[in-house]
Amino acid sequence: MDPLYIKLAIGGLVLLGSIGLFFGIGLALAAHKFAVEVNPKVEEVKELLAGAQ
Amino acid sequence: MRKKVIALTAAVVMLAVLGLTGCETGPRFIKQADFDETHGIVLTFAGPVDADWAADKANFSVNEKPDPDILLNIESVRLDPGNTRLTLTLADALNQEQPHQVVVKDIMADGKPLGSTAVTVARSYFGHLFAIFLGALLIQNFVFSKYLGLCVFFGTSQKKSTAVGMGITFTFVIVFASLMSWFLYQFVLKPYRLDHLQIIVFIGLVSLTVQAVDTILRKINPALFKAFGVYLVLVIANCIVIAVPLILADNEYNMFESLMLALGAGLGFLLALFLMSSVRERLEFANVPVSYRGLPIAFIVAGLFALSFMGFSGMSIF
Repeated sequence: MDPLYIKLAIGGLVLLGSIGLFFGIGLALAAHKFAVEVNPKVEEVKELLAGAQ
Repeated sequence: MRKKVIALTAAVVMLAVLGLTGCETGPRFIKQADFDETHGIVLTFAGPVDADWAADKANFSVNEKPDPDILLNIESVRLDPGNTRLTLTLADALNQEQPHQVVVKDIMADGKPLGSTAVTVARSYFGHLFAIFLGALLIQNFVFSKYLGLCVFFGTSQKKSTAVGMGITFTFVIVFASLMSWFLYQFVLKPYRLDHLQIIVFIGLVSLTVQAVDTILRKINPALFKAFGVYLVLVIANCIVIAVPLILADNEYNMFESLMLALGAGLGFLLALFLMSSVRERLEFANVPVSYRGLPIAFIVAGLFALSFMGFSGMSIF
């Protein structure tokens, strides 16, 4: 295969990977910073309900 | 209260400054220079000029502003009766995207020489931006003339309140997402020649924006978050939000043009939802044949709206 294509493919993988990593870390940090305390009992009650719609 | 007043004053002052910089001041003998049709440039003088002087083509030269060495071929010069309006006709069609420079030599008015001046002819930029905005809002409304985003459109247009909520959320998200995708496309994808991956990147960006807005809004403004409710997540399923970045990438828009297109698309969707929900609220009480109740009549109504929006088609502003 043409080495140019391989270069392009690897470049694309690296670039998209780094974009994904960058924004992933950003979202994780945002989620951490803007964390909202949720009452765990709400989830538990929801789990126990029938759950049809 | 005081803070609000100060902020309002600041905004007004800023707008005024922006407006002032938009119009040039200072006395000039050439009052106005505009493009005329495809081949012409119209100069408007403050007073009558001599017909003999105006008849000489050699007194005028036209060039595109970036390359002053390449003079364009002037075919004819015509002076309107009244001697204040002069039309230059060029041999080739003008590229109106580029600003042009017109050099006028030794202007003669009432037998007196007034010296030479150069004027710039350019399409009004604010007008251009406004045309993009209005184009996305009405003339090429994404719902009624491009038939995009129909699933969300029919899903959330049953009640006025949900329709408006969805529309506002959508406008919010689309402006953020398109600006981000514009930035990423222009500064990352294009320089690295990866623009064939644009769809994947844009889809990721849209979900990222929605997730980020969801996370941040939940903490900062829970009331607004409750009002947005389920619609925030529904925005991901809307195809307008992916169509706009693709159009931006195709047309090579700059940042302000992108902002205007995104805003127009968002507000156009809001308008479409509002119109549709107003009709559907009344349809609830209408005597619709049984087989048409619900979605079928909604599709017919949407078709009628699309027909009426066709009235805007072919309109051009500025």
